[in-house]
Amino acid sequence: MGSPFSMNGGACVAMVGKDCVGIACDLRLGMQALTVSNNFPKIFGINDSVYLGLTGLATDVATVSDLFRFKVNMYRLREERNISPDTFANLVSTSLYERRFGPYFVSPVVAGINQTSGKPFICGFDSIGCIDFAKDFIVSGTASDQLFGMCEGLYEPDLGPDELFETLSQALLSAVDRDALSGWGAHVYIIEKDKVTKRLLKGRQD
Amino acid sequence: MASILPGAPQEGIGYSFSQAAPNAASEPRQHSFYPYSDNGGTSLGISGTDFTIMAADTRNVSGYSINTRYSPRLYLIGGEGPENKGARIVLSVVGFTADGSALKERLDNIVKMYKYHHGKPMSVSACAQRLSHLLYSKRFFPFYVSAILGGLDEEGKGALYSYDYVGSYEREQCRSAGAASSLIMPFLDNQVNFKNQYQPGSGTGHNLQAVVAEPLPRERVTQLVRDAFTSAVERHIEVGDGLQMMIITKDGVQEKYVELKKD
Amino acid sequence: MDTLVAQYSCPAIEDTTLDAEQDELLHGPDALSLNFSLPPIAQPSSWLRAMTDDASNPNCPIKIAHGTTTLAFRFKGGIIVCTDSRATQGNWIASQTVKKVIEINNSLLGTMAGGAADCQYWLAYLGMQCRLHELRNKRRITVAAASKILANLVYSYKGMGLSMGTMCAGVTPQEGPALYYVDSDGTRMAGNMFCVGSGQTFAYGVLDAEYRYEMEDEEALELGRRSILAAMHRDAYSGGFINLYHVKEDGWVKHGFSDMNPIFWKTKLEKGEFSNVTADME
Repeated sequence: MGSPFSMNGGACVAMVGKDCVGIACDLRLGMQALTVSNNFPKIFGINDSVYLGLTGLATDVATVSDLFRFKVNMYRLREERNISPDTFANLVSTSLYERRFGPYFVSPVVAGINQTSGKPFICGFDSIGCIDFAKDFIVSGTASDQLFGMCEGLYEPDLGPDELFETLSQALLSAVDRDALSGWGAHVYIIEKDKVTKRLLKGRQD
Repeated sequence: MASILPGAPQEGIGYSFSQAAPNAASEPRQHSFYPYSDNGGTSLGISGTDFTIMAADTRNVSGYSINTRYSPRLYLIGGEGPENKGARIVLSVVGFTADGSALKERLDNIVKMYKYHHGKPMSVSACAQRLSHLLYSKRFFPFYVSAILGGLDEEGKGALYSYDYVGSYEREQCRSAGAASSLIMPFLDNQVNFKNQYQPGSGTGHNLQAVVAEPLPRERVTQLVRDAFTSAVERHIEVGDGLQMMIITKDGVQEKYVELKKD
Repeated sequence: MDTLVAQYSCPAIEDTTLDAEQDELLHGPDALSLNFSLPPIAQPSSWLRAMTDDASNPNCPIKIAHGTTTLAFRFKGGIIVCTDSRATQGNWIASQTVKKVIEINNSLLGTMAGGAADCQYWLAYLGMQCRLHELRNKRRITVAAASKILANLVYSYKGMGLSMGTMCAGVTPQEGPALYYVDSDGTRMAGNMFCVGSGQTFAYGVLDAEYRYEMEDEEALELGRRSILAAMHRDAYSGGFINLYHVKEDGWVKHGFSDMNPIFWKTKLEKGEFSNVTADME
């Protein structure tokens, strides 16, 4: 069977640019070698400026994304404002740690822009909620090694939204082309202070 | 280091495989014979129109400890005497150092004996096939080594051959092997073979035209090699300390050494 | 007494018998020698399995390149042989450019599935045996005989851990177009159509639905291509380039080593197949 993290496959990456952040994921859902779906996005909109990427076991991806939709809705009702990315990151962390001894098999990534300070924010987590705050990029999923190599090679600080989109897309596409369990197309979100651009990438279909 | 004793260090996070004999839950097994150890390291080769560049880092590890910060992984094959004077073939070996140097010794012997018997140096293609057979001769007790062989072919073009552990081989444009190969290889696909790159303004959507790969000039390749390694050093603990490069042209083999991060 | 004398006498000239390794170095190797070194333990094969079999032990240190879709079928105009080009080590795609059709000679083809090194080595060995047969008997070897050389060979290594699923395709005056499947268990069968490898079921799906013996050459080539395409798309361990061959009476013809991605999108956008793949946003 192998690890639950690599049964369904999938990859996700987030990057910081100048006054913008990008987050991208592949679209595959598989059962080991068999590709079941080519349209299984792993990025979930939390609000207009916060996005959550989830890779790992598909059933947990669905459960955890629903869980956070619920929690964020409750937050919005109580606080009458949108959750900021840093607060959301802490919510993710504590929620995952609640399952310390029976974790969700997911590796989340959070990307967003803090609407009060205007600062870009990204972070990643392990499956039990340890936060990895990063200034440059976060990777997760079955192609994480490949993504590390690509991002480390292509990334430079203070990219504009268009350059960030190009860098992020090249990093993701080339990385998943070296991983058997991810790929089959991709979604890319570029998040600016008052604008979000979502694009579909045409990836290799093998 | 290679141990036939049980109780080698436990599996940790972040290096390519555990030093202890692996245990799968599926099948109860009791093998105390574990003749391998992983000494880490990464190698890289790129061939061009009239040159081949081979590179490898010089860190030698076992587990989390560093054995030495300078152990070469690139070897000259053939040529004259122990200094391999005039050699035009370079072998890189990563994985288990003991198996690697044993393999290098055998191949070097063969190439030198070939010249002694036939009165001419061995061609890279012949050497590549011989190396394949050498690896396959230990099919049932493999060399724990990822090998890359570089040189110039009969037409003077760059030639690069990559191998798996038991000798399946293929001629390629570029290849990275070893601990950080999974970090470097997609970068090479993208920057050397221009995978996933499209010509700007050649259309929109499905009409975009892919960039056609063509051999890169030497300066560009050298820069890419250094970029690939500085990137790998940041994210892989088994890679670092120094970068040994060998550039094979019709004029001979030029060797360079560049410092890498030592943390 | 003699033994005692022998023990203390020394030979007039120093012993010049060389060990095998020195001998090989001096006189050059036997081409494709069949001496394989074994680990110094009682059960070499189970040790090898523990070290290399990533199916039973995903953490095995030595991952041998695997994963494939290959197919070959007989039809009116000869035999079509078609393969993908991906090699995987676990989930890592080691190569997208493997040549899985091995040209044994100019009328015989072998395909490669399973261990890449096993197939490359033993089909090269088979090529050598076929050439020797030609020189000894002054005529081409039949596909039946060639496949049997291979089958007997792998059978003699049964249980040692070889891993190969191969097809031998060729046209000879004695047999006409002939196709044999040989694998490392020692199985050898003649047949009209085989798909081998991790993506075999996907390829069979297309091939069984569309196959007719009376196809024209162009139709047959397209069917081979389309079957491999389906397997590359659905099987994670198949992909890369489509390697297509047509074996005819006067030898084989290569019909390209072409990237699957443009072919896939052409098939999708022009013929409306693969409607499961999204080409537009939402």
